[in-house]
Amino acid sequence: MQSSSEPLTVLIAEDSAADRLLLSTIVRRQGHHVLTAADGAEAVEVYLQQRPHLVLMDAMMPVMDGFEAAQKIKQLAGDQLVPIIFLTSLTESEALARCLEAGGDDFLAKPYNQVILAAKIKAMDRLRRLQATVVEQRDQIARHHDYLLNEQRVAKAVFDKIAHSGCLSAPNIRYMQSPYALFNGDLLLAAFNPAGDMHVLLGDFTGHGLPAAVGAMPLAEVFYGMTAKGYGLAQILREMNAKLKRILPVDMFCCATLLCLSFQRCTVEVWNGGMPDGYLHDSLSGVRTPLPARHLPLGVLTPQLFDDRTEVHPMLLGDRVFLLSDGVIDTTDDSEQLFGVERLQQVFAANREPDLLFEDIQQALRDFRGEARDDFSMVEVRLVAPTQLNPPPPVYSDSGQSSPLDWSVSFEFRAQTLKRFNPMPYLLQLLLEVHGLRAQSGALYSVMSELYSNALDHGVLGLDSSLKRDASGFSRYYRERNLRLDELSDGYVRVHLHVTPNNEGGRLLIEVEDSGEGFDVARVLAQPQDSDRLSGRGVSLVRQLSQQASWSDDGRSVRVEFFWEALA
Amino acid sequence: MSEIHLDRDVLSTLKEVMEEGYPELLDTFLNDSEARLRVLHEARDAEKLSATAHSFKGSSSNMGALRLAELCGELEQRAKQPSLGGIEKLVNEIESEFAHVRTLCREEREGFHC
Amino acid sequence: MSVITEVSDDGKKLTISIKGRFDFGTHQEFRESYEKLDTTPDAYIVDLKETAYLDSSALGMLLLLRDHAGGDRSDVRVVNGNSDVKKILAISNFDKLFDIS
Repeated sequence: MQSSSEPLTVLIAEDSAADRLLLSTIVRRQGHHVLTAADGAEAVEVYLQQRPHLVLMDAMMPVMDGFEAAQKIKQLAGDQLVPIIFLTSLTESEALARCLEAGGDDFLAKPYNQVILAAKIKAMDRLRRLQATVVEQRDQIARHHDYLLNEQRVAKAVFDKIAHSGCLSAPNIRYMQSPYALFNGDLLLAAFNPAGDMHVLLGDFTGHGLPAAVGAMPLAEVFYGMTAKGYGLAQILREMNAKLKRILPVDMFCCATLLCLSFQRCTVEVWNGGMPDGYLHDSLSGVRTPLPARHLPLGVLTPQLFDDRTEVHPMLLGDRVFLLSDGVIDTTDDSEQLFGVERLQQVFAANREPDLLFEDIQQALRDFRGEARDDFSMVEVRLVAPTQLNPPPPVYSDSGQSSPLDWSVSFEFRAQTLKRFNPMPYLLQLLLEVHGLRAQSGALYSVMSELYSNALDHGVLGLDSSLKRDASGFSRYYRERNLRLDELSDGYVRVHLHVTPNNEGGRLLIEVEDSGEGFDVARVLAQPQDSDRLSGRGVSLVRQLSQQASWSDDGRSVRVEFFWEALA
Repeated sequence: MSEIHLDRDVLSTLKEVMEEGYPELLDTFLNDSEARLRVLHEARDAEKLSATAHSFKGSSSNMGALRLAELCGELEQRAKQPSLGGIEKLVNEIESEFAHVRTLCREEREGFHC
Repeated sequence: MSVITEVSDDGKKLTISIKGRFDFGTHQEFRESYEKLDTTPDAYIVDLKETAYLDSSALGMLLLLRDHAGGDRSDVRVVNGNSDVKKILAISNFDKLFDIS
């Protein structure tokens, strides 16, 4: 950029030869390079060819007068400022008016005063340079903006590869997200675990742009990886929190709501850290129960202090869980008023058709704000019969050539381990080394989880499953469970696994024992299978899913068999 | 109406600015002005008359020929009136004033040494 | 200035008051208010009496202050927030980290 002491190129358009000569000499003496023109048309031509920095223009000229020439030159200059100083012997106010109208920047009266002319040239040049700076900075900003958009495109492409293993397209999920949600810090993940349960995460990272997106990738990898292996919410939460705490700066964190919907047990397990209330919608009564945040967001607490306790709610077929990001609540209108939770509740109350809840909310936001906005996320998950879903089969990374076929292993999990550790994923991984069992991995996981959970809850902790009769009983049950688990000092659950060849295929025998009191097996098995009852499903489930289940030792021990045939 | 035919102060400033170009300036002014006078005599078009008078006024004032500039200014205004009666008289006045100025300019030119 | 600080006479307590919006634009002032002190206070008070609005970057700034003040051993109180401010702090469960009143 030119400094103020560099010479300019000045165009002098003046039809009077003597005046032109005089002015040229004055301007040259001031250190500038001079171009001349004798009429308006010539002035425009010279401007086009030489692009002078500044123009001194006589107002009245033949062929094309000064005002018209000035307009043409301004047009040719485009973004850049080419100051035009009119030379005039019109009266002052008349002159000023006409000059400004024509797009002139200043005027100089005849007879020419050198001092005034020098001052005007200097002032105009300062403006010219200022304009040039502004234009250059504007172009720079536009270029940087393009780079940024491109970086975001790349980041999104990478993220989409990580997120592709999700099941957001399952028939029981409905969601709404802006295409660039990732860069608002919004995250929506969903995946099936091996038992066919569905894990859903709605998250909101602090910040915007790439910093917000960058945290999402490790989080998504943990979520998908651990869900696929069969880990429970508590373990996944602990791992996600620890990871974010480790990698994110102190002032960054991720608010999140995590769900585990079990279609077999008809329950939803919830953990909400810092997100707005979720809602559990009872499809029969229409009541929407809030699921408020009881935890700090992920990435704030150290692993030692992190609280992974979840809440479990019973659900019936057709019930829904609705989650939303704070973009909805925080929508403002012209007078800076917030949409707020009350208005959202009004939308709920007025909603007639649950399938149209999203539309109702969007309409309410449009009415409130006067325009649509898309930087919020909403997701609704319905409890459906397991047969309606089609979880994809798991993908294995080994070649399938070698497989352990004749082995046994026993585990004993004692009090301290039972409190904080869910062994299911490890046991499942172990069993999936046997290729013949892979086709039944879902059933395997469900059965083992159920056996283990029965052994722990009813056996070791002595909880009465009849408590889970209704919704409030459910809460009491899980509160009691947490209490007893915290206080546990004795007790064990033993798991024995035996894999043996059988004809062309093989057999897996699972035995689970607990240190509890046992139960009256005959009586429980004699009760009719009542699918509306919230409890007691564990036993029927096990029987449904496996070939042979039998109890012994007064209900303290159970054995289950799985068979498979030769692989093709 | 100014009595100054050629302002000495203006001339000395011009001399200082133009340096060795001073004679050329004087010549150019004289040539331009003669051409303009011809137009003033011959023109029947009021707009052309006014424009030429305006232009003459401008260059005269730059040279310091104050009385001449004023007369041209008068002509410029008169030519904008609906009737052009009496214009010829004004043009002649301008011609004679210019003759005076021309003499002074030539004297200047003679007296100028680089 | 939207961030006003006041140190107690014995230098043991620092009070930081936020006026207006407590958001991303407040970041630099807020950090400077406790980083550039001659003394090391034992206790910190963040006064939100005149704070109109609080967003997630403000929550992040509170975490930075807490970390500076000793993390789990810190004594940071957040006081005088209006109902909107208190609601935001409640949803994020920040009362588990800060003494909020």
